[in-house]
Amino acid sequence: MQNKVVSSMLRQCLAVMRREVYYLWRDKGLRKILLAGSLLGLLVFYATYSAQVLKGIPTAIVDLDCSRESRQLVEDISNTENLKVVANPGSFAEVEELIQRGEVVVGVVIPENYAKSVSLRRQVNLAVIIDGSNMIYATNAANTVLAITGTINAQAGIKTLIAGGMHPDQAREAFSSVTFREEPWFNPTLNYAYFLVLALALNVWQQCCMLTACMNIIGETGRKSWSLLKAAGVSKFMFFFSKSIVQIALFILTVLPVYYLSFNVFKLPLACSFWVFLLFTLAFALALHATGTLVSSFSRNAVNSTRFGMIIAVPSFILCGYTWPLEAMPQIVQQAAWVLPQTWFFQGINYLTFKDPGWTFMAPFFSALLVIAVLSYTAAALIASRS
Amino acid sequence: MKQVAAIAYYEMVHILKDKILLLLVFAVPLLYASLCGLVYFSGILTDIPLAVVDLDDSRLSREVVEAFENSPHFQVVPGIDTYAGLEKGMKEGTVRAGVVIPEDFEAIITQHRNTEVLTVYDASNLIWGFNIRKYTLEVISTFNARYTATYLAGLGLTEREISNALNNVRSNIEVWYNPTYSYANYILMGLYMIIIQQIGLLCVSLTITREKEKNSWLQYLCSPVAAWKIFLGKSLPYFLTNLMNYGLLLCFARSVVLVKVEGSTLLILLLGLLYSITITSAGFYLSLWAANSLQVTRYLLLLSAPFFMISGYCWPPTHIPEFINNTARLVPLTWMAEASRLVTVKNLGAPYLVDNILALTVMALVSTFFALTFSKRRNPPAPGGLEVDCGNSYPKRD
Repeated sequence: MQNKVVSSMLRQCLAVMRREVYYLWRDKGLRKILLAGSLLGLLVFYATYSAQVLKGIPTAIVDLDCSRESRQLVEDISNTENLKVVANPGSFAEVEELIQRGEVVVGVVIPENYAKSVSLRRQVNLAVIIDGSNMIYATNAANTVLAITGTINAQAGIKTLIAGGMHPDQAREAFSSVTFREEPWFNPTLNYAYFLVLALALNVWQQCCMLTACMNIIGETGRKSWSLLKAAGVSKFMFFFSKSIVQIALFILTVLPVYYLSFNVFKLPLACSFWVFLLFTLAFALALHATGTLVSSFSRNAVNSTRFGMIIAVPSFILCGYTWPLEAMPQIVQQAAWVLPQTWFFQGINYLTFKDPGWTFMAPFFSALLVIAVLSYTAAALIASRS
Repeated sequence: MKQVAAIAYYEMVHILKDKILLLLVFAVPLLYASLCGLVYFSGILTDIPLAVVDLDDSRLSREVVEAFENSPHFQVVPGIDTYAGLEKGMKEGTVRAGVVIPEDFEAIITQHRNTEVLTVYDASNLIWGFNIRKYTLEVISTFNARYTATYLAGLGLTEREISNALNNVRSNIEVWYNPTYSYANYILMGLYMIIIQQIGLLCVSLTITREKEKNSWLQYLCSPVAAWKIFLGKSLPYFLTNLMNYGLLLCFARSVVLVKVEGSTLLILLLGLLYSITITSAGFYLSLWAANSLQVTRYLLLLSAPFFMISGYCWPPTHIPEFINNTARLVPLTWMAEASRLVTVKNLGAPYLVDNILALTVMALVSTFFALTFSKRRNPPAPGGLEVDCGNSYPKRD
């Protein structure tokens, strides 16, 4: 008898799951979004960041001295890996104009009598201008400029000391006895594609999933067939449980090609095991689906449900601290951000892709996502059962 | 004009009656603006957690430590005194940068042998990475200058001789437009422009889909009211609210978030006008073609992130492939975001914005032309069409 009940329930489950696959397929818009959205996003973002590293920052050098020394200086700057001299204007005003037009980001002005002043050991000022309006350019440019000007200053200082009668070794030691070596950890080539592409593609993916999850309850209760389903005596729990399994499975299926392309074709970094990463994605898919289901339980129609869902999903990437760090946000925003599953997910994927800090460290991330899932499903079930 | 005014009045009534639409039109742009403003309010990374592993504990090593401690950007995390501890802290994100001073550091330096101080930083987030690198270079530069001065003084050089040696070639680095490297000055204006674009498009693109869902669009099509009048009447409230939101967000950015909003008011207004016209007419045209509100909502909201990333506002267009740049040039945001940066952050005049104004004018003209001259002929819906997303209805309990 008990076996019969179980097999009947299983049959019902399978029937609902088959129906859900059919319904999702019939929803042409959602079908396109789910199947193509995140993949298209990955390709677009990878193409956008295909340069990967910000080298060749457009630079203009004004050489007002035109001496052998100043030409040497121009050559030293030109040989810097990150700067690319694209213009040699004749005056400061022209550099100003080029920077205003956005044609160059760095401007260097070598003053008249540069060589003479250096040889007479008089102070000479190089003017270096950086366009700070685009931070990515500006910080990269500033780092390069700081390094190169440090070297130039030291070289000039050493020459001055030698000219003043100091032994060359002693002069060099005065400027370079304490050497600092820098090591960027986890992303040693400072690769923007490694940092951003996968996260941006997963951001599109989570938005596509949210759109689907937002239809979970209202997609049924908002149809005329809902009364028929209720009359058929199908258990609400079993019904939505079966639907949810299909949707979550679909979320994972749609993320697999994204992961395949990211890790196998584009060779984006993955410090942890792929299976741990997939498990983490599954935990997030559960939490995200639960949030969408909760939204769909109290919305009066599918449009409102979609709007509410996207109000959470769209700004979540800004709030999650993946780019601008959470630590730099006001306390109240930080606390609010941790309520969102996206914050746990995007913070988690940063650790997993670059650092692999181990199970003990990642356990709270998994737990938080599961807690969000349980709470949201419970709230959705309560609301749906009362409506 | 009476007909236009009547349609505009009817549309306004709709906006006021539909609570969610009312919120979208009047509250959501400011809500998103406040959220972004709060997130980026500090704009500058300070108190970066730094671990100092001083394996020497000598006078010189303490001077190195002091140089980092005195920097306003770093906050030394106590209790990390081994390389393994630094590695653990960096992995777990409790520290973002580290300085490792080797054993016998001072002794080696005194013996004129080579040694080096290791500085490490977390590059898994490049905003951390590049800022820490910059701050570290600043600290090193100051430390080196001080060290050299002390060294030369020890050799008996006079103050003037030391100054000559140190400052023979001085580099005066000036950062224009955003001297504090504020992230808020850099990103916020672009984000506000995408908020205006996406919310503006979303609101206006529901104007006809709603009529289609109520089967009242047929009445517009059959009525003797000209197509251009329908467009003007239906779009006017959205155009005005878009323009209002544009002004509101700029004022909010300047007065509340305190980001740099400079430039000619007239130019800012002109750009806002062109942007609002483009958004409103493009949204209306989208609404003509969209099957229902669900479809248009889904697609529009999904496009915000890709539009922003390909616009060249963050990652420079010089480093983006040309086919992506060409695609981005078809999106009003690309031109508007750049224009807003040129005016509000760089404080440039109209001659520097010719391309942007021209592109936005062409977009405004083209989209308005298509919206004004839409065909009132209606093709009957395909029999047995799909109900969800492609038909004229969507699931609702109302």
